[in-house]
Amino acid sequence: MTAVTATSIERSATALPLWAIYVVLTVLVGVAMLMSLVFGYRIYSLNDVATALFASDGSEASTVVAGLRLPRAVLAPIVGAALGVAGVLVQTLARNRIASPDTLGLNAGASVSVVVASAVFGVSTLAGLSLAAALGALCASLLVFGIAAGAGGLSPIRIVLVGVTIAGLGNAIVYVFLSINEAQLQQLLFWLAGAFVDRPMELAVNGAPIVAVGFVLALLLSRALDALQADESTAASLGVPLFLIRGASFVVVSMLTGAAVSMAGPVNFIGLVVPHAARRLVGLSHRRLIPAAALIGASFATFADVVARFVIYPVEAPVGAITGVVGALVLLVLLMRRAA
Amino acid sequence: MTDEPISPRIDVRELTLAYGAVKVLDTLTLPVERGKITVLAGPNGCGKSTLLRAIRRLHAANGGQILLDEMDISRLKSRDLARRIGLLAQSPSAPEDMTVEELVRLGRYPYQSMLQPWSRDDARAVEAALAGTGVVHLRGRNLGSLSGGQLQRAWIAMVLAQETDVICFDEPINHLDMAHQIECLEFVRALNVEHGRTVVLVLHDLNLAARYADKLVFVKAGAVVASGSPSELMTETLIEAVFGVQSMVITDPVHQRPLCIPIRNAAQAAE
Amino acid sequence: MSALTMTATTMRAPAMIGLIAAALVLLALAGVGFGSTWIPLQDVVGVFLGGGERTQSLIVLQFRLPRVVAAALGGGAIAVAGYLLQKVTRNSLASPDILGVVDGAALGVVIFLAGLSDESNALTTSIAYQPLAAGIGAATATALVFLLSGRQASSAIRLLLFGIAVAAVAKALTLVLMLIGPIYRTAQATRWIAGAVNEVNWSEIQVTAIALLPAMLLVLLVARKLAPTDLDETSARGVGLELPIFRIGIFILAAALTAIAVAFVGAIGFVGLMAPHLARMTVGRNATAAIIASFLFGALMLIGADLVVRVLFAPLEVPAGTVTAIIGTPYFLFLLMRKQSHDG
Repeated sequence: MTAVTATSIERSATALPLWAIYVVLTVLVGVAMLMSLVFGYRIYSLNDVATALFASDGSEASTVVAGLRLPRAVLAPIVGAALGVAGVLVQTLARNRIASPDTLGLNAGASVSVVVASAVFGVSTLAGLSLAAALGALCASLLVFGIAAGAGGLSPIRIVLVGVTIAGLGNAIVYVFLSINEAQLQQLLFWLAGAFVDRPMELAVNGAPIVAVGFVLALLLSRALDALQADESTAASLGVPLFLIRGASFVVVSMLTGAAVSMAGPVNFIGLVVPHAARRLVGLSHRRLIPAAALIGASFATFADVVARFVIYPVEAPVGAITGVVGALVLLVLLMRRAA
Repeated sequence: MTDEPISPRIDVRELTLAYGAVKVLDTLTLPVERGKITVLAGPNGCGKSTLLRAIRRLHAANGGQILLDEMDISRLKSRDLARRIGLLAQSPSAPEDMTVEELVRLGRYPYQSMLQPWSRDDARAVEAALAGTGVVHLRGRNLGSLSGGQLQRAWIAMVLAQETDVICFDEPINHLDMAHQIECLEFVRALNVEHGRTVVLVLHDLNLAARYADKLVFVKAGAVVASGSPSELMTETLIEAVFGVQSMVITDPVHQRPLCIPIRNAAQAAE
Repeated sequence: MSALTMTATTMRAPAMIGLIAAALVLLALAGVGFGSTWIPLQDVVGVFLGGGERTQSLIVLQFRLPRVVAAALGGGAIAVAGYLLQKVTRNSLASPDILGVVDGAALGVVIFLAGLSDESNALTTSIAYQPLAAGIGAATATALVFLLSGRQASSAIRLLLFGIAVAAVAKALTLVLMLIGPIYRTAQATRWIAGAVNEVNWSEIQVTAIALLPAMLLVLLVARKLAPTDLDETSARGVGLELPIFRIGIFILAAALTAIAVAFVGAIGFVGLMAPHLARMTVGRNATAAIIASFLFGALMLIGADLVVRVLFAPLEVPAGTVTAIIGTPYFLFLLMRKQSHDG
């Protein structure tokens, strides 16, 4: 490759060397997780936290930290990472930096699947729901891309409009079930906004491997994804098997989105803003973008989860509301600066 | 012929136009004579299209002014301006299932008011436009079913229906094949010669510009480098200065106009 | 002006409009007739003519008719809003949903319900003010979208994105408020958000009609001005269309119509997406005809959806807006699959 291509893709956008960036990001995730254990309805000291984790003494602090907060502190980064990486892939696939799993209706598709699976088919196992969510996300992504591409070219506006419509449809279907199931209304609403609270540790334990596999697959696809950033003909002439790569990417996106939705419900906007931040930090090469997006997504989700505890204290806000507001504000800024 | 100087139809005075910090046109001055064909030519990005669009007030000026018959165009209402200057856009588009007639009727938009939807004048203008461009037999056809040449004529008919004294054409022949290019330009000339319209034309092809222009204008880097008759401007030195091409200029034996034969890229020649 | 210059579609436009109107009347009658007691058509007409059995008359006039009329007005208004948006953005995929209007209205409603309830969850002011709250919410959201997009408002896709962002913020805030408010209000708000036609009364309809009338008149007046929007931006401006100002004016009109509709019947944005398509397919390009046809189709769709809901889901009150979305989306997607030539 010529020096020009190498520098434009590989150059890091900040002055720090790559390894330093990764270290900082990882530390950030750790800090976020720690804060997630410390802060909440009650604020516990680091001492309490340490006791709860390593020498549980049955005190209230220990129960809360180990029983309630720990699952959240583990779940949030995993979901955040999954959605961050999914966001990168979606934006590359759609050749559009404003695409994301939620605006393209993938989250909605997963939600519908979960709601239908539990209400109609009575599925209640975590594995079952995860599968349903993944299938829903996959169907939605195929629908959106298939339709948008159908009438001659993946124009950005077409993709976004189709995605918004599919998302709207998904929400409508979900609302049907909501109206029918008024008893579970509050619960469902909360879940539908995306929440890490009241989730058993098993969710994280079951979901983590899926996310890990998705992450690895995404990394394997990075070279091909780099080529995909060019237009169709160029990518094809570079020897990229477009259909295969796209298909594989859809599957990975669905895995990641599906896992995230089944773990925490549809958390919006993480997949939209995290890729932008990642691009700013490490440039455009997917080999760097994907790990960076995972780390940034992890800390974003975890920090949002902490904030969610305090916004309407003492009541918990759904984390999706926080990511929604922050994400939307970031999107607005990006749009106003014409950076998106 | 009177002794007083005839004021130019369109007078571009010290026009400055910028996109953000980038100055596309820089204190550009250009008088456009009435009843003549003025052709704007220049290398890519020189600002000739922008100038044309500015004349039609599609861009607001950052400095200077443009006068139409001694009236500042920024003071004119859209309707009035649309009745006096018509523009054929570079890549016009319309729904494929629109008919030719529907398209041409849109040219009467600046004459319609809420109270008077469709007058006899409007009908007459549309008929004249259809006849003038020879598309009467196509009036009920969908735009999507027309050939490139026919489509171009339909668009010209629309601009004609506007019945403006000044007509601007923004690179009207780029996408046409040779036969239709000539047909289009001959038609433009007829508009000028037979109907006395003032024409401002942006052309990419220097030789066609030289062939059809009464007045040729070379634009470079947002300023007018030279303007005058084609024979005055089409010199090898000037062409090299403006277009960066070493060439030989001969006289076209058929049309008795200058003909430029490009030889080599001047920048390469310097190496 | 020769009659020959009218194209085939425009010649059949009045006839088509008549047909659609007739279908609408029939459906409305069915909508009034259907319910827990089926009232046959002759009796319905009888009630309208002043006679009819007393209980039937009560049911028809107090319960069924308001619902049908509200659906007609709401559906029609939002259909016209959709038409305007599709014309001005030159994109047939645009709909009132995209401006964040609907989500802004929802937020307004939720603020109203949650904010003006006392400790016993009773509303401290009349429920009649709810539409006002919705309208204010819708107007605020639209104003925000325009203010923020500034000069970028002339690009359809940029506007869409600003709309998505504003809508997302509104959605998030709505959710939070619904969760901290009393559950009863949450249920109420949810149903409203999904598009509920069943809770209107005559005074609300009066207000809707009064608000709608001048808006619709205005739309019909400017209908003719919409013609050049079929063309690319340069050519449209070349024939004298003052695009930026015009566009903003049309957006405001569309937002106003949407706010009025949504204030009373909830989030039925999808109707605004599809009705204009049906209108264009049946009556052609003439703006006035298309606007009228859009209104009629919108009314048809919402009355139909409400009827479907009552037929299929009774006694549950599933919101009609949901049904329109579910039925309409496959059709919409089918529309998208067909080759679109002129969209931005």
